[in-house]
Amino acid sequence: MSSGHEYPHESTGVETRKLGMWVFLSTEVLFFGTLITTFLLFKGRNFPGIKLTDVYDIPFTSISSFILLMSSLTMVLAHNALENEDQEKTRVWLLATAMLGAIFLAGQIYEFTEFYHKGFELSTNIFSSTFYVLTGFHGLHVFIGVVFLIALWAIGQRQQGLSLDRGIILNS
Amino acid sequence: MSTDHKEHPTPKKYVQIAIVLGVLTALEVTLYYLEDLVGVFTDSLLIFLAVGKYVIVVGWFMHLRFENKMVNRFFAGGMILALILFAIVMLERGMANFFYS
Repeated sequence: MSSGHEYPHESTGVETRKLGMWVFLSTEVLFFGTLITTFLLFKGRNFPGIKLTDVYDIPFTSISSFILLMSSLTMVLAHNALENEDQEKTRVWLLATAMLGAIFLAGQIYEFTEFYHKGFELSTNIFSSTFYVLTGFHGLHVFIGVVFLIALWAIGQRQQGLSLDRGIILNS
Repeated sequence: MSTDHKEHPTPKKYVQIAIVLGVLTALEVTLYYLEDLVGVFTDSLLIFLAVGKYVIVVGWFMHLRFENKMVNRFFAGGMILALILFAIVMLERGMANFFYS
């Protein structure tokens, strides 16, 4: 959908900032792929100390994951609103996305605290280390995302609102 | 600038996609409770469902399927490498269980 904003011609056929973001995201896939495989390598093996299965609260984690999943819906609705140049809806969906991300983070902090109190700590064994590194890095990514979303929402509060130059890059 | 642009889905379509993602998440949770029944296939099935959710989120919500082919190839490359990594780990785990159990 054309936004009316023209970028300089790129020899790759893709706007450089957008290409840069996709390349970054591609490296993120490998980054988390490595963390997940390390986690899987040690999953189900016997290590000293309390097991993750003894401290897990699957219904809580499932709801938490679902909330984060729904934040992807609110994010794409924000994008859709911006494409339609609806500044108010864009701000509402951006804020909703940030809130859902913040709820997920609060849940993760609660879970980590519970695990620690029950004795499943970062240094309990090598499996617990892989678990905290994987989920901790994911939480860090969500946190950075929430900060960016709040920044976008704040920029959107200005009179000129969000646009290609001050906000989300639209496909064009 | 991309020249092969397709129209993005409507909000209604996005909600439908979110429902599919919710169902896949429910399946993942169900698999956890059925681990004794599913056995060694649990991790593989969980990875399969996770990849399915990932493709849906990246393809539709992040609009990758509406992007230039080059961007798609770039991103598919990262995903294929990650899947190869998963396959190697699954193989290693399977062999370890076979030889040491």
